Amino acid sequence: MTDERLELPQGTLDLLILKVLSLGPQHGWAISERLHQVSRATLQIPQGSLYPALHRLERRGWIEATWDASDNNRRAKYYDLTRSGRRQLKAETDDWRRLTVAVDTVLGMS
Amino acid sequence: MLSDLWSDLRYRWRALFERRELERDLEDELRFHLEREAEKYRGQGLSPDEAMRRARLAFGGVDRAKESSRDGRGTRLFDGFVQDVRYAWRSLGRTPAFTIGVILTLGLGIGANAAMFGIVDRLLFRTPPYLAQPDQVHRLYLSRMDRGTRRSESTTEYTRYLDLRRNTTAFSDLAAYSTRPLAVGFGTDAREMNVETVSAQLFDFFDAPPVLGRYFTPAEDSVPVGAMVAVLGYGYWQTQYGGRTDVLGQPIKVGIAEYRIIGVTPRDFIGISEEGPPAVFVPITAYAGTFRGGSAQTNYYTRYNWSWLRIVARRKPGVTLAQADADLTRAYQLSWANEESIGSRITPASIAMPQGLAGPIQAERGPNQHQVTRVASWVSAVTAIVLLIACANVANLLLARAIRRRREIAVRLALGVSRGRLAVQLLTECLMLAGCGAVVGLAVAQWGGAVLRKLFISDPVAQGSVFDVRTLIFALVIAALAGTMTGLVPILQSRRTNLIDALKSGVREGVYRRSRTRSALLLFQAALSVVLLVGAALFVQSLRNVQSLRLGYDVDPILYVSPNMRGVKLSDVEQANLRRRLGEVARQIPGVESAALGLTVPFWDSWGEDLFVQGIDSVQRLGDFTLQGADADHLRTVGTRLDRGRDIAATDQAGAPPVVLVSESMAKKLWPGQDALGQCLRMSVDTTPCITVVGITEDMKQNSITDDAGLHYYLPIEQFHPEAAVLFVRVKGHAADLQETVRRQLQPLMPGDGYITVTPMRDIVDPNLSSWQLGASMFAAFGGLALVLAAIGLYSVLAYDVAQRTQEIGIRLALGARLTDLFGLIIREGMKVALAGVVIGAGIALVAGRWIQPLLFGQSPRDPMIYLVVSSILLVVAGFACAMPAFRATRVDPNVALRAE
Repeated sequence: MTDERLELPQGTLDLLILKVLSLGPQHGWAISERLHQVSRATLQIPQGSLYPALHRLERRGWIEATWDASDNNRRAKYYDLTRSGRRQLKAETDDWRRLTVAVDTVLGMS
Repeated sequence: MLSDLWSDLRYRWRALFERRELERDLEDELRFHLEREAEKYRGQGLSPDEAMRRARLAFGGVDRAKESSRDGRGTRLFDGFVQDVRYAWRSLGRTPAFTIGVILTLGLGIGANAAMFGIVDRLLFRTPPYLAQPDQVHRLYLSRMDRGTRRSESTTEYTRYLDLRRNTTAFSDLAAYSTRPLAVGFGTDAREMNVETVSAQLFDFFDAPPVLGRYFTPAEDSVPVGAMVAVLGYGYWQTQYGGRTDVLGQPIKVGIAEYRIIGVTPRDFIGISEEGPPAVFVPITAYAGTFRGGSAQTNYYTRYNWSWLRIVARRKPGVTLAQADADLTRAYQLSWANEESIGSRITPASIAMPQGLAGPIQAERGPNQHQVTRVASWVSAVTAIVLLIACANVANLLLARAIRRRREIAVRLALGVSRGRLAVQLLTECLMLAGCGAVVGLAVAQWGGAVLRKLFISDPVAQGSVFDVRTLIFALVIAALAGTMTGLVPILQSRRTNLIDALKSGVREGVYRRSRTRSALLLFQAALSVVLLVGAALFVQSLRNVQSLRLGYDVDPILYVSPNMRGVKLSDVEQANLRRRLGEVARQIPGVESAALGLTVPFWDSWGEDLFVQGIDSVQRLGDFTLQGADADHLRTVGTRLDRGRDIAATDQAGAPPVVLVSESMAKKLWPGQDALGQCLRMSVDTTPCITVVGITEDMKQNSITDDAGLHYYLPIEQFHPEAAVLFVRVKGHAADLQETVRRQLQPLMPGDGYITVTPMRDIVDPNLSSWQLGASMFAAFGGLALVLAAIGLYSVLAYDVAQRTQEIGIRLALGARLTDLFGLIIREGMKVALAGVVIGAGIALVAGRWIQPLLFGQSPRDPMIYLVVSSILLVVAGFACAMPAFRATRVDPNVALRAE
């Protein structure tokens, strides 16, 4: 596997997780797979760092967790966005867009 | 945002209290992930094992992920703490002898300090319960110059109280109070209890509303006689009335008068009593106006001859202490002028220079501090020293232990534990030891403290339990200090641990490095022990000096019998007859050698009259002359020696020529250079007939054991107030044995409600010896303890050294060293430290001796004999402590030693 993957800037993993979960409750492995697929394998997200991030978000109250039966009938921990999580997602997405626009503008200077 | 905070807290809560569940969740979650990942790879055709391996690789470090998750829980500090505690527990548990030894040592030190703190706190710092703004409340002292020295008194007259009320402006309120032991109750139910006579304004000084009824008002507390109302103390209300609410309005007899109950104070309320919780509170004017029975007394608020109460005052906000003192002085001077103007014969204000002082509310912080309090302060310093010695011991033990664990520490450092973490872990161990020591210490303080409190504090209200908040906090604080101090020593040592050396070496050390820290600690202990022992010796000698003083009368076989009429009205003649009869009956009691009448008893009361001697301007300027009434048996009964002339005889009756016996010192003072026998003395007024001196007695201690001038005289009781006589009974053997018998035999002679109190002379004299007794016993006890601790310290350090140097000793022996040389080697090392400690300790004691001088008696703090004795004791004890390890060194088998590691 080529190591052309980009490392995530600090703090953006949270944003990505929130976005994935905004599409519906998932368990940790599914989130990992989804991120891997959707980013077309560009983002380098060590699977191990996913779980600390998830637990951190759970502590902040932006996602909540329930144990449920997964699609192959095994017990899995499902995460879902909370209301404040949705608000946080919107806020962080706005920040990110504004950030990238600003950086683009600077980079576009001649 | 608030909701974020809330879920954060909830999460942390779960992390703290449902840790196992969280761990299981984490485990399950990660396992699920790995299984799904492995499934993916199996789907690509890999074998199950290979699939799992790839899954794990893809995941990264599982354990690291777990750690990160745990870190994110926000309980890292707490987890670390719990881990440290568990580790410390295990490691301490592996060496039980060490652990128990340290805990006991610290426990003794902490316990002694907690106990003494409790005492000093009660004497010097505690304020009466419920007192509002105690730093604004003052105990008033009035002082004047008396024969060249300024004397302060807190006791004064009601008249003076009224004067001060009228003339001061710096205080928002004043109140007077006095504790009287009076019989409370009707008939046979009556028992002598502490009654507090108070101004109505006193209740306003406190935040203590009555639990029942009300307090009396200033209108009910006015001259000439206050309203006959009474407020019950809570304790008395519970025990005597069962806490019934129908007590209001009921009558109660206090002393000789009847009062009506109008209220009950809250629990633990004692007013400003120094004698223990009062049973009843009555208006001061009600008591003063009726205490003699018959018509209302007016002298108590118009004349200045009955000094019986104390005054407290609340300073107005914004008034400084200096201003209050000045205001009080001015008011006192006005009062003094008033006293002169009504005709009392007192020293003019220009000579007496009356001054007022608004002192702290705690009596022991004022100008008349008891010797006992000063001794108590010194003893707490002593316990602090004992704790330091104990800490030094523990530090040494910890050092030795740290050296033994060098390898373990080196391994942990190699594994990546930071030095800071290691230090925290070591500190946790020490704090745990100190914490257990504190628990043991509190137990020691509770038991030992009860004993100490009975010795230092006479009033029972202060003898609570040790478990009050202030003492507990104090114990925890010093335990934390002790733990930190002792923990720092091995931590500072461990910083110098060289990893490689520590990992490679066994217990064997190539070159023996004598630890300077350990020697320094031993020196410290030895020096402090010397200081304490010198103090102990000084106090013991003082005590022996005081006890060997001739009091001028016997103490052990004497009983003091005091009749209390309790309102029964008898004429003077009947009173005199009653007392004679008491004497006659007393003589018949088996076991009684003799009985005699008197008027006063040493230390408890004194009686003086104005005296006039030809050729002397003012007798009173020469000193305090006190008198005693005596019958023919008096001197023989109390054991006072008659030096010259004759004793009082049965013929010295009323109407016979007045005679008097004087003491040696009085004779020398009034008739210097002449023979006092036959001289003429006049009493009360210059013009009364001559009282002839017919005998000279030895001096006796009337007011103070150590500095009594011994100026007193004996008047025949029949010629001077026989109706006020008291009785002295001399028994064969100890007075206390016959106390109850005498009381039972004499009580039936008392008319009506009257009763007899019988007190052994020993109980009257002993309290005056208490400060020396306390100093001697406390210093000796703690000095001994310090010595034992220091000896144990020396022994353990040497024993450890010998164990460490087994190889070296084996080599020496193999090379032909003699056993005596070996013995000498070890002993010399120990004794060098001991000797150095003695020298330093003696130096400190010499310097500090100056401050302890006022507490001693007849003993110089620089007595060389004492230093010699103490040094010898310490050196001998040190010798014994060194001998055992030295002996063990000689038993080393070189074969075994050389091969061991």
